[in-house]
Amino acid sequence: MKNLLARPIVRLLLAVVIAVVIIVAPISSSSFINYQLSLIAVFAVALLGLNIVMGYTGQVSLGQSAFLGLGAYIAAYGVRQEWPVVVIFLLCCIIPAAVGLLVALAAARLRGLALAMVTIALPIIGVPLAKRFPDFTGGSVGSTVSWLEAPEGSGLADDQFRYYLVVAIAVVLFILGRNLVRGRIGRAFAIVKSNEAVALSMGISPYRYKVLAFTIASLFGGASGFLYIAVVQYTSPETLSFATSINLVAAMVIGGSASILGTVLGAIYFVMLPVVAGQIDSSRTALISGAALLLVLFLLPGGLVSLPRRIAQLVRGGRGGSPRSRAAADRPPTGDTAPRTTAAPEAEKQPR
Amino acid sequence: MKNSLKPNKRVVGTIAVLGVLALTVTGCTRTATDGGAGAGTGADETAAPSPGITDTTLSLGISSPLSGPTAGPGSCSVAGLDSYLEAQNAAGGFEFGDGKTREVTLTYLDDTYDPAKTVSNFKQLVGDGIFAYVGALGTPTNAAIMPIANSEEVPQVLLVTGATAFSEDQKANPWTFGLLPTYYDEANTFGKLLADAGKPITVAVLSQNDDFGKDYVAGLTDAIEGSDVTIVDSATYEPTDTTLDSQVTQLAASKADVLMSAVSVTPLQVGVLTKAQSIGWLPRIFLPSNTSTPGTILEPGGATAYPAVYSTSLTKVPASPTFAEDEDVKAYNAAFAEYGSKIAAVYTPHCAWSYAEGAILGEAFKGMEEPTRDSFMTALKSIKDFQAPLLLDGITVDTTRDDQPAISGLTLVQASGPGYAPAKAY
Repeated sequence: MKNLLARPIVRLLLAVVIAVVIIVAPISSSSFINYQLSLIAVFAVALLGLNIVMGYTGQVSLGQSAFLGLGAYIAAYGVRQEWPVVVIFLLCCIIPAAVGLLVALAAARLRGLALAMVTIALPIIGVPLAKRFPDFTGGSVGSTVSWLEAPEGSGLADDQFRYYLVVAIAVVLFILGRNLVRGRIGRAFAIVKSNEAVALSMGISPYRYKVLAFTIASLFGGASGFLYIAVVQYTSPETLSFATSINLVAAMVIGGSASILGTVLGAIYFVMLPVVAGQIDSSRTALISGAALLLVLFLLPGGLVSLPRRIAQLVRGGRGGSPRSRAAADRPPTGDTAPRTTAAPEAEKQPR
Repeated sequence: MKNSLKPNKRVVGTIAVLGVLALTVTGCTRTATDGGAGAGTGADETAAPSPGITDTTLSLGISSPLSGPTAGPGSCSVAGLDSYLEAQNAAGGFEFGDGKTREVTLTYLDDTYDPAKTVSNFKQLVGDGIFAYVGALGTPTNAAIMPIANSEEVPQVLLVTGATAFSEDQKANPWTFGLLPTYYDEANTFGKLLADAGKPITVAVLSQNDDFGKDYVAGLTDAIEGSDVTIVDSATYEPTDTTLDSQVTQLAASKADVLMSAVSVTPLQVGVLTKAQSIGWLPRIFLPSNTSTPGTILEPGGATAYPAVYSTSLTKVPASPTFAEDEDVKAYNAAFAEYGSKIAAVYTPHCAWSYAEGAILGEAFKGMEEPTRDSFMTALKSIKDFQAPLLLDGITVDTTRDDQPAISGLTLVQASGPGYAPAKAY
């Protein structure tokens, strides 16, 4: 199984299949499904930012929803002022990044719990602040926009057009994010995460890289705010509420921290779980979501991204013995320990 | 190993198959089933039925917060409505203006007060073919779907919110309007009581620091204009505040005769009532309808210490002994025990409001001559002087005005014993 995936041809084929599915999916799907798929792209971008600062650099951030909300408000304001879309998009990236930079300059001196407290403050201050400036934000009622209608003659419905736009931007951002974490900066992040003293001894300033990670996370957060307005066409103080931040962190861990694929899985989980829970029993969604969260954390401590490895492990172990004895038997160096060793550090990456 | 010798052939083959597949799927473009079918076909003598209605059934949808901090009121906005509908279904169904009898079902979804989820739920409900979206609770959540409902021509009606935004311009948003009197109306009713007293009264105002709070203050200010009533001090709070002690202390220094405590967060409202009496300030108090429930506000707040506690009310309180023998209350209690208690565990006024809302819908169905959304809206917008169950005497439903919610009368009530009774003059 592993060898199969390692072959370049198989990987290429897989990529082609996924690309075709992404391109073809919205054409025959209902507007509801397209909305869900677009939302997954929106929150995948926000989660990617969060993963860069938390998963890859190991710093706690509970403020991602504030940047998402800020980006959304800037986009909504820009649409009302009839600014060009490209300008709006750039502002949605630059302003949250600048705010993130300012906060990080002060906050990155802290670590652990203290840092978490500072980042919590962002959504908590953000909500009353958003209500306080109704001219800019629309107050508690929020602001509705109507834009990004499908161009005449494209043959697309609005929801299809928005899907393509949002997914295209998300894919570009994901390629940028992937290159970042795989490159020089990503390696520096990894060292800052594992040991700041070692980083210093190698000439890498942990402070500077932490600030950088925060700034990039805020930029992705702001960009996802732009995408949010493109899809939802509405924003209110609820968008930047603290609960969203916490749910994003949970989704990131569940998807798989420090993993690009895990980020996408986390976004799918974030968007689809409430929908699925609602199908089961609308008045018990919180309960079902909580149970699902516990289930994933117990069965897949490395996140959803470790599911294929886990299945492979179970299949290979399935030839003999009860599950319990099998798990025990797999522990010795039979090759099955590989998934465990890769999963364990991921769990450790989570701040305690 | 053998296979990997001819990789190119395989890749080309697979891509070709995928390409053909993709083209096939592209060929089957989806049919335009989403909403929009409400508009009749013009010259036809009988319009084609809208989605969600057959000769024997009609389906309604709602998305309210059923989990999270607003779950209490949100669940009640579903439970009350569902109780009325199910009880009526069990009694044979709803009579319609076209002579048919239909069973009305309600699909409810949880949006946790998150507008993005509400949009998602709305799309899901419309995709599943609901006839109308009714009675949803929440201002941001309803604001998010108002443009979609109006462009797709899906009724989004009898919303359980006191914000003015949903009802004030029904010409611009013909498919949307609210159920409840606005926050402005509540404070205005109370202000009139003070102004009618005809003597100098001093008032202290505590309100939420946002547009809801401003609605309350505006309602009061407009009502007391030109009278001897004066606002001597005012303070604001944030819903995220943990205590309002400093605001209460500040207002107490004014020694005002009356405190309008427009606080919408239950624990904070209780805190206001306990703090003011603990520092020896005993004004007459006005509470908004959202935070005036005897069990959760008056008792824990020790409201009996004050000379008078006023609130506004629309409905009979089902738990109150005053109404224990009332026919409406008996019917409500039976229906709620059987159907609603599965959805909402704790009573809030929203349960009673949404129960009355079910009756308003029933009244609209009676006037509906064609199985279309257009006909439904016409019937719903022509209800006048309708006495819905549980509504207090003198409060009637009038949906014919273009800038008002369905219910705009209010009764001022005064805490007495374990519940409320109609207010005496100041």
